[in-house]
Amino acid sequence: MAILKTFLYLLVYPGFLFLLVYSTFCEWFDRKMYARLQNRMGPTHTGRFGILQPVADIVKLLAKEDIVPEKADRKMFSVLPVIGLALASTAMLLLPVWHFSLERPSPNSFPGDIIVLLYILSLPTLIFFLAGWSSTSFFAEIGGARVLTLLFGYEVPLFLAVLGPAVMAGSWRLAEIAHFFQQRPLLLLPNVLGFLIAVICLQAKLERTPFDIPHAETEIVGGTFTEYSGKKLALFRLMIDVEMVAGAGLLAAVFLGGFPGGVFVGLVHFVIKTLFVIFLLSVLRAVTSRIRIDQVVRFAWRYLAPLAVLQLFIILLLKGFVL
Amino acid sequence: MRIAALLPELLRHLFKKPATVDYPFKKLEVPKDFRGTPFLHPEKCIVCRACVRDCPAEAIDILTVNEADKTFKMIIHNDRCIHCAQCVESCPTDALEMDELYEISAFSRWDLKAEWEFVKAVVKLKPQPSETPAPAAPAASSSETPSGGDSQAS
Amino acid sequence: MKYSVPIGPQHPALKEPISLRMTLDGEVIQDADIRLGYNHRGVEKVAEGRTYIQNIYLTERICGICSHSHSTCFVQGVEKLLEVEPPRRGVFIRYLVSELERVHSHLLWLGVAAHEAGFDSLFMYVWRDRELVMDLLEMISGNRVHYAINTLGGVRRDLDEGQVQKILDSLALLRKQSEYYLNIGAHEPSFVGRLAGVGRLTKQQAVDLCAVGPTARASDVPIDVRKDDPYGMYDETPFEVCTADTCDVLGRTVVRIKEVLVAYDIIEYLMRNLPAGPVAVRTPRRPKPGEAVARYEAPRGENIHYIKSNGTDKPERLKVRAPTLGNYAATVEMLKNGFLADIPLIFAAIDPCICCAERTTTLVDARTGEEKTVSFSALRALARERWKNAPLKKDAVWPF
Repeated sequence: MAILKTFLYLLVYPGFLFLLVYSTFCEWFDRKMYARLQNRMGPTHTGRFGILQPVADIVKLLAKEDIVPEKADRKMFSVLPVIGLALASTAMLLLPVWHFSLERPSPNSFPGDIIVLLYILSLPTLIFFLAGWSSTSFFAEIGGARVLTLLFGYEVPLFLAVLGPAVMAGSWRLAEIAHFFQQRPLLLLPNVLGFLIAVICLQAKLERTPFDIPHAETEIVGGTFTEYSGKKLALFRLMIDVEMVAGAGLLAAVFLGGFPGGVFVGLVHFVIKTLFVIFLLSVLRAVTSRIRIDQVVRFAWRYLAPLAVLQLFIILLLKGFVL
Repeated sequence: MRIAALLPELLRHLFKKPATVDYPFKKLEVPKDFRGTPFLHPEKCIVCRACVRDCPAEAIDILTVNEADKTFKMIIHNDRCIHCAQCVESCPTDALEMDELYEISAFSRWDLKAEWEFVKAVVKLKPQPSETPAPAAPAASSSETPSGGDSQAS
Repeated sequence: MKYSVPIGPQHPALKEPISLRMTLDGEVIQDADIRLGYNHRGVEKVAEGRTYIQNIYLTERICGICSHSHSTCFVQGVEKLLEVEPPRRGVFIRYLVSELERVHSHLLWLGVAAHEAGFDSLFMYVWRDRELVMDLLEMISGNRVHYAINTLGGVRRDLDEGQVQKILDSLALLRKQSEYYLNIGAHEPSFVGRLAGVGRLTKQQAVDLCAVGPTARASDVPIDVRKDDPYGMYDETPFEVCTADTCDVLGRTVVRIKEVLVAYDIIEYLMRNLPAGPVAVRTPRRPKPGEAVARYEAPRGENIHYIKSNGTDKPERLKVRAPTLGNYAATVEMLKNGFLADIPLIFAAIDPCICCAERTTTLVDARTGEEKTVSFSALRALARERWKNAPLKKDAVWPF
């Protein structure tokens, strides 16, 4: 029985099948919001309201020709998208969905799992760099170098911002943090600054405007994905979608109070909260323009990191004097 | 230097109707005098061949079918036409007119030729426009007519 | 560590094929080499085989965005040869379309520059408002691009009262939107951060390298053919030449938006003072032998057409100097010491209309540096022979 439940957990919900469906739905939501903000229509005719558009894109890519550059290392070039998708999906498994209540904790909730989740979510950046480097094309190498430079900018503020509520709840376990904020929802308000910083850093991790420097289309053609085509590119796109859901889920679990209530109520909470985070990401994407790589690092270290430290300071003060 | 200067405008647009027209399910109206494709009124053509001479894309051909009966055939090559309407202007009898079609693609260029077979008309040319220039223009132009030699004679 | 990067001929930043070979040192550009010729169509040669009336439509198709500029410049030159002057109403309508084309071209440029900078929202908004201008042009001339409103001796269509009123109404809406874009363009920090300080061209460099149009005006060089050598009715129309003194891409953006606002004023003046009368005069078919040079202020700068006639109804020689061709030398200067990330913006800031500027290419022997001109059939024979005998090369090194 436990084995069956584990398989259900891994493959159906919140495992692979749910991820496939939900991440394509989130990509549709993001594209439709982005389009409506710009007074356009967005995907309209594939499926009702264009909901099948991301699926159609992936199916189209799966059917295209797959080209490996001559000088590239064939094995590494081919295996990177698969590893990336595996990493992003694994990150989802650590989120406190379904079995989250503290009385019957799920087997993959343990003290310190917030650190493991952040670590797993930072590995895709390394995958992008390796993808760019192993493509041996000039534009891909520049894209790979930019990906790593971007990592130096946003990783520290993201860690600081996400660990703020953990300090306030006094635990390194996602299930306990979410439980703490469900008991005391008013304590979510002092964390708003941390939430905004985390949203900006998540935008940088997902490489969307204003931080889409690594694959800036008009400058370096495709950046890290220049040489990828066909099935490998389809897997990369799916990986980015799943990473978006995993990142939004992390933010929702830590800053918006988690997903209480068992299977179905928990699913509703999950959907609503992650869609709210993704809506914020879409608005941020529509409102700004791309900034240069040196400006990103300067901006991150001059504004984001000090603000994250300030947020930690506020939390420590609160914890010391009030709680 | 305001941060997120575009934000209020963006959020307002969430509640407006999109500006995109859902073509091909909804089509826009074209204005009056839109330059679509040219077509012929055969009863007015006097075979002066001004249109053939003036067309920049060599898209009009007039062939003689029978000299004695004075039947001619005009072919308009819509795959060569650039929709400039110079033929409409050069025609002295208003035999050519532009319609308002703009969805004229076909699978083969041979489907785009339009033909008319007709008998040459005997029509009085409309009076030439007056030659008194406007007060600002100094030199009046010389009065060579654009329709060349073979207008009403044969 | 120096290495060479080819931007183009195919690149998402370029709307048309052109090859820019940059020599980079890290991320800083040391030198740029511009190679033209990918869009050459032989327009000047084709023009020698067509009559003057047919050439109006041919010159219009040199470019899609600035089509009216080429057509009007050509017609101005031919009217000089024919020694006719179009009537005042025709002149007003012709330059009304000119100013509307200037508005549409600058709005297009603003959208494209925003897209290159990654600011897609501004791109979508600006192009939505440009649709108003396109609808006006369709109403006046019958087509959204390639207006074909010029004829020798005036214009082909007239405006009635309803159309004049519609133009004035749309102007009010467009003016409000354009002022909003000026505000956004000047204040959105991420956008301004991309544009400021990029692509510097000092005033002395702009004068030495013969830059034209908004590229020069943003370096505080107040050249504008409409003021320096007025044609049509520009000598009696009140307007100002817009300049900026920041000498960078932000200056060029500001100059173009200011020009759009000035164009609205000119259009309003033309519509309120439209004289009555005919719109065209009849002209002879054959001009006398002679030469004429016509200058025109296109949205991108100064456009020069040279026409030589020999008494027949076909021109003997037509030479077109498009404004972008004059800006290429300044572009190389602007690219030096810039960043790799700024190349699309610097290149887009001169508003390149590459197909306007294609002229004959000369073959330069890469090893000896000797130049020669080759006919097209010889070139094709050379290419066929080379590919027949060449084996498939692995690790081919681009010859420099």
